[in-house]
Amino acid sequence: MDLPTGTRNYNYAHDMAIFRTRTHWIWLSVLLAFLFTGPLYWGNYWLGVANLIGITIIAATGLNILTGYCGQLSIGHAGFIAVGAYTSAVLTNRFELPFIVGLISAGFIAGLAGMIFGIPSLRVKGFYLAISTIAAQFIIIWVINHWASATGGFTGISVPPASVGGISFISQGSQFYLIMGIVILVIFLAKNLARTRPGRAFVAIRDNDLAAQVMGINLFHYKLIAFFIGCFLAGIAGSLLAHWTGFMNAENFTMMDSILYIGMIIIGGLGTTVGPIFGAISIRMLQQAITLISPNLESVFPTLPAGFTTGIGPMVFGLVIILFLILEPRGLAHRWTLLRTSYRLWPF
Amino acid sequence: MAELIQFVTTGITVGMVYALIALGFVLIWKSSGVANLALGQLVLISSWFTYGMLVQVGLPVWLGFPLVILFAMGLGWITERFALRPLIGQPILSLITVTLGIAFFIQGAVSFIWPKSVAALPRLFPEEPIHIGTAVVSQEYFWAAVISLALFGALSLFFKYHKMGIAMRAVADDQMAVQACGIPVTKIFSQSWMFACVLAAVGGILMSSIGGITFGLVETGLKAFSVVILGGLDSFLGAIVAGPIIGLAENLGGGYLTPLTWPGIREVIPFIIIIIVMCIRPYGLFGERRIERI
Repeated sequence: MDLPTGTRNYNYAHDMAIFRTRTHWIWLSVLLAFLFTGPLYWGNYWLGVANLIGITIIAATGLNILTGYCGQLSIGHAGFIAVGAYTSAVLTNRFELPFIVGLISAGFIAGLAGMIFGIPSLRVKGFYLAISTIAAQFIIIWVINHWASATGGFTGISVPPASVGGISFISQGSQFYLIMGIVILVIFLAKNLARTRPGRAFVAIRDNDLAAQVMGINLFHYKLIAFFIGCFLAGIAGSLLAHWTGFMNAENFTMMDSILYIGMIIIGGLGTTVGPIFGAISIRMLQQAITLISPNLESVFPTLPAGFTTGIGPMVFGLVIILFLILEPRGLAHRWTLLRTSYRLWPF
Repeated sequence: MAELIQFVTTGITVGMVYALIALGFVLIWKSSGVANLALGQLVLISSWFTYGMLVQVGLPVWLGFPLVILFAMGLGWITERFALRPLIGQPILSLITVTLGIAFFIQGAVSFIWPKSVAALPRLFPEEPIHIGTAVVSQEYFWAAVISLALFGALSLFFKYHKMGIAMRAVADDQMAVQACGIPVTKIFSQSWMFACVLAAVGGILMSSIGGITFGLVETGLKAFSVVILGGLDSFLGAIVAGPIIGLAENLGGGYLTPLTWPGIREVIPFIIIIIVMCIRPYGLFGERRIERI
């Protein structure tokens, strides 16, 4: 582990602690206090942004488990999010089941879909798997668009707001607590998953699948587990997204979104717990910056082409992905480690 | 019967265009081991560029097409030089995702420069349709097939006899040995990217002369992946054989399965084929079976 020089752990609990020192705990409580008092002084708009970021973090954490830890590239993540979103929407809208049932079954159905499309991973990897997940994306979206009796087809489906035990989460502020609660739970579980037997098996499979198999890791079993967990989280995120937006159609889950999720975990740093958080925050904030700035730019420079507002976003994201891969393949998580080290070693 | 002939002819010709685009993929994969997922976007941007040259600038066809080819070559060169070359030797995950970044960038650039989502190329081929028995097929399909076949022929001659083509095959075979022989491997990489972009551009022009320029062209590029998967990732012959098969499956399936399932089954047939091939025979019809060792 990356302990500072001269520091050592004296018992097992200490060794396993995520937050080791008092300073860590202080920083954590400052962060949590900042987060949970947020709805008091953030405007409705920025609370909406924060909710979207929270949902994105959940989805990106799922993709990070699948791609970052287990090394199975999935370009169909938006498709699996769509499965979760529609499961929840159909259950709560058409069958009028409670939100919590929708949420959990969204996770399980999306996880199941992930396992089905993960079956080819038994025999293929790398590019082949990437292609079969692209196929998954298209097949899922096609089914959603054409199974109109359940999903509403091209017109879309409206989703009732989330409610648990009589409390309904209608305002952005109340949804913020719901989403952030789940985000913290998911991050905690993801952090711990990486330290358990499956988590270490995932890393072994990523680094060398044959060597992992020789060591007694059942490849198929663990790859399917990775697909299940990754897509389970995608489903949870999808369900939250559905109840957060209130109305959706398949346009919300394109292949470009899938690529954006991959971009997020690359920018954040593959195979780290903080990576998806950084990635989701930076991509969503970049999107906000572009949507806020580009109309102003257009009014200041009237000579800009008409496609400026729609085109500039994808161009910037593509460029960011390329530049991060070339210049900082370990992502912002690595920068974060460097920052922490220099803070600890200060003033040297 | 007329219906059947129609489906078969359109299927085979469209499949040949898929094969053409897929060849570009195979070329890059064989020479540099990069999986080019930006194929669809390359097709898209070259079609839009053709539109820009022929319609917006108003150039004649004889001047416009060479410019499109030059543009495609430049695009390929820039992509290889600035996005792929810094990543030589990186894990396959980075190599795949960097092409996704390129795809994203190109798609943005297209909606930046050409904000309208649909356009049509001027008529390149004569208008009166061809009659095969009772079926009626428009000339575009016929010419798409002829041009694709001519390009297959030219490419196979090129790889067989031209020095550059032989060097490309050599790089595909063994990079180290080739470098020791004094062939600049990185130059071959950028040449293969240029070739792939030109093939994508030609495929794009043929497809958009059939169906107009839409974002559906991206899916045309993605359908080329099903050709590659079915034919085998590292086989030129595989791509040429699998292209018409995919085209046929798409058109026959679209024609005869639509009453049985939801409409639009045509769009997903290539993707369903991908999943089936992955489960049964992942190395494709003609691909090399790799045995891995630690």
